[in-house]
Amino acid sequence: MSYRRYELLKDLAPVLDGQALVICNIGFPSQELYEINDSANNFYMLGSMGLSSSIGLGLATTTDKKVVSIDGDGSVLMNLGTLSTIGNYAPSNYVLLLVDNCAYGSTGDQPTHTGGSTDLAAIARATGVAHVHECTERDTIDVLQHCLDTEGPHVIVAKVDAGSPKLKPIPMDPGYIRDRFRQAVNS
Amino acid sequence: MTTISEELLASLKDNGADFFASVPCKLLGDMINLLGADDSISYIPVAREEEGLGVCAGAFLGGKTPVLVMQNTGLGTIVTSLYSLGLFYNLPITMIVSHRGSPGEKIGTQIPMGRASRPLMELMGIPTFNFSDGADVAKVGRLVSHAKAAQKPVVGLLDFDFWGKG
Repeated sequence: MSYRRYELLKDLAPVLDGQALVICNIGFPSQELYEINDSANNFYMLGSMGLSSSIGLGLATTTDKKVVSIDGDGSVLMNLGTLSTIGNYAPSNYVLLLVDNCAYGSTGDQPTHTGGSTDLAAIARATGVAHVHECTERDTIDVLQHCLDTEGPHVIVAKVDAGSPKLKPIPMDPGYIRDRFRQAVNS
Repeated sequence: MTTISEELLASLKDNGADFFASVPCKLLGDMINLLGADDSISYIPVAREEEGLGVCAGAFLGGKTPVLVMQNTGLGTIVTSLYSLGLFYNLPITMIVSHRGSPGEKIGTQIPMGRASRPLMELMGIPTFNFSDGADVAKVGRLVSHAKAAQKPVVGLLDFDFWGKG
C-alpha cells in the first residue's frame, strides 16, 4: 500500500496540533491538511508557489512559538535561494518540512529532479543548516516531534510516494485565513 | 550631518516599520548596510525578490510591520507572488524600490524595465509613488502608513534624482 503525503499529513496532524504554527504549501498539501485537521494554527498558502518556507521564516523571527513550514520538492526547487537564507538566518524555533515525493503532484505528478540526482538534504546541509534530518514515511512522526522538542533550526526531508486523493478547494476567504491565523499567532 | 539613507531608514521606522528584507542594489547599498547594523529592527537579506515578499508576509502574520527593500528590476519577477500572496491576502507590505532606468541611468539595459515599472504596478492595482527629490525623504516613510490604510502592498520608486546621483 502506498504511503503518500496525504497519509503522512494524517500521521503528523496530531503532532502539529497545538504544538506549532503551520504554513502549508499551495495546492493539494493545503487541501489535504484542511480536510485532515483544519485549525486556526494553519495558514493555507493558496498561491505563490515556492514561498511557504519564506513565509515561515519571516514568521519564526516574530514569535517564540514553533513554526513549521510544510513545503515540497518541486516548490522548494522553484525558490532554492530560500535554503541559503534559512541556513544563515533561520531562528531556532523554525522547522522546514520538505515532503519529497519526487513529483509535481498538484499538476499531474510530473517528475522533479529529486527523483534523479538532486539531493535536497545535501543542499540544505551545504547552506549551513545544522540539523538536517532524512526520513521516510512513518519515521517522520518521531523526527518531527524531536524537532519540536529541541532547538533548531531544523530541515526535514521526508520521502513519500507520489499521488494525491481527489479533494475540493478550500472554501475559505483569504482574509479569513489571514485574520484567523494572525489571532492564533498572538494567542 | 546625516545621509539620505539614514534619513530614509529613520522615516520608515518613525512610521512603524520594524522588519526589513532586502535584495541588493547599488543605489540602496548604504541603506542595506544600515539595515545590517541596526539592532532595533529585524532584518533578513534574501536571495530574490519573491523570497523577500514571502519573508515580509510571514513577518506581517506575526504582527510586524514589514518593508521590502529592492531594485525595480525585480518587479518583473515578483509579479505572480504580488498577485497571489500580497494582493490576494491583502498584505500591507511597503516596497522601497530603487528606480534604475530613470533619468540619470547610464546603463542602457536598465531603461526598458525602468520605463515599465510604474505602469506595471498600476496595472496590478498596487499604489505606486515616485520620489525624485531627496528633500522629500521624510515623506517616503508615510508609505508604511499608506500600506496599512490601503491593506495592500505599496511601492515607492526612488529615482536617480532622489539619490542625487542623476
